[in-house]
Amino acid sequence: MRTFRLLLAALLVSLVAVVGSASAASASGESEATCLAEIASEEHFDPEHLTEDQDKAITACFQAPNPMVPEKNEVIWGAFGFFVVFGAIAKFGYPQIKKAMNERTERIRTDLETADNQKAEAERLAAEYQTKLADAKNESARIVEEARQTADGVRRQLEAKAQADIAEMRTQAAADIEAAKSQAMADLRGEVTALAIGAAEQVVQRNLNDDTNRALVEAYIQQVGASN
Amino acid sequence: MFALEFPPLSHIVDWPGLAGEGAWWEINKVVLVYAIAAFLTIMIFVLGSRRKELVPTGAQNLAEITVEFVEDGIARETMGEAGVKYTPMLISLFLFIFFTNIFEVIPIFQMPASARIALPLVLALFAYVVYHGAGFRAHGLGYIKHALVPPGVPFLLLFLVVPIEFVSKFLVQPFSHTVRLFANLLAGHILLVTFAVLTSGLFVLKPYLPLALLPMAGVVVFTAFEVFVSFLQAYVFTLLTGVYINAAQSHEH
Repeated sequence: MRTFRLLLAALLVSLVAVVGSASAASASGESEATCLAEIASEEHFDPEHLTEDQDKAITACFQAPNPMVPEKNEVIWGAFGFFVVFGAIAKFGYPQIKKAMNERTERIRTDLETADNQKAEAERLAAEYQTKLADAKNESARIVEEARQTADGVRRQLEAKAQADIAEMRTQAAADIEAAKSQAMADLRGEVTALAIGAAEQVVQRNLNDDTNRALVEAYIQQVGASN
Repeated sequence: MFALEFPPLSHIVDWPGLAGEGAWWEINKVVLVYAIAAFLTIMIFVLGSRRKELVPTGAQNLAEITVEFVEDGIARETMGEAGVKYTPMLISLFLFIFFTNIFEVIPIFQMPASARIALPLVLALFAYVVYHGAGFRAHGLGYIKHALVPPGVPFLLLFLVVPIEFVSKFLVQPFSHTVRLFANLLAGHILLVTFAVLTSGLFVLKPYLPLALLPMAGVVVFTAFEVFVSFLQAYVFTLLTGVYINAAQSHEH
């Protein structure tokens, strides 16, 4: 605001200074006809008997104006034009355009920051998903491994049980066979004993001689052997 | 030899009044140029700030380019960050001078308003008050010493240096500021008028018709050159204003 007041004061001071300096040359902007008409309208003007002053004035009418001397009207309008332009730009034009530019800068900055944040968030999410995916893969691998180990365990357990069962069955079978064999032997022994006793009874009952006894026993054994 | 009659200087820069002949408010071609230049300058900003697009086009683009050009290329360049507050003044100077200059090459007008001394003088005096005002505001009454006594000058030499500095900074500077703009534009205008008059003269004299092509080419080339000069002089005037303000308010010599 202070700057604006300073500039305003500057404009007014310069205007006053230039208008002051221009006043002497104000007539130079007039056309030759107007200049001559002004002289002719003076009292005591006689074209045949010009006074020295009138002669000088008429000569001045035909002289080119000094280009280094400003015209009053041009000074006034020039200053007015510049003042209007300056006022409009300082008060409205510049602040409006600057505001639009600043808003754009701010918006672009915000957009870029948002984009950066969103990118970082997206990267974070991607990393998170990657981690989760890796975790899921590890978990699935772990589960598969665990299942495989469990299955192996079950298989080994079943195999061991089967082996144990087989061994037990074998042992049982062997025991059964042994028992059956023992039984059979016992039965055979009992049978042989009974037969021997029976043969012996036969021998005793017939009181045969030694040869006869022997023949009988052998015949009996053969009989037994043939019957088995 | 071609019986050419070159118009006197007064005829090519002094225009008869369109209204109010001889009055203080007389409106002539130069005043008309001021009005159109002021109108165009203001319209750039009016149209530029009417619809604010994110991606600027048209007048908004032009207004923003001008603001950036003056703010970064002139205000900051000459005065640093402290110069930004002078941007509206510098934009006004630049655009108003440019538009009054460019009428040099606009058909029908073909008259740069700065080829008359009034406007350069008003603007140079305005700048004069601004930069000395800025100096007094920055240094108080010490500004007079700041402006007239360069540091490191032996005492006896000051009797020579101080009057030179006074004449240079307080008397010659506004004069040179004025004349630089005024004389460049006046010279350009006289150049174009000379080539145009020569072309016209040779064109009328049938035997010399082919020779008319040379000044005609001159008119074309110098018209383009004057567009450049219009821009350059507006830039130089504005830049110097910035330089003078900086020299006045700066705390270093």
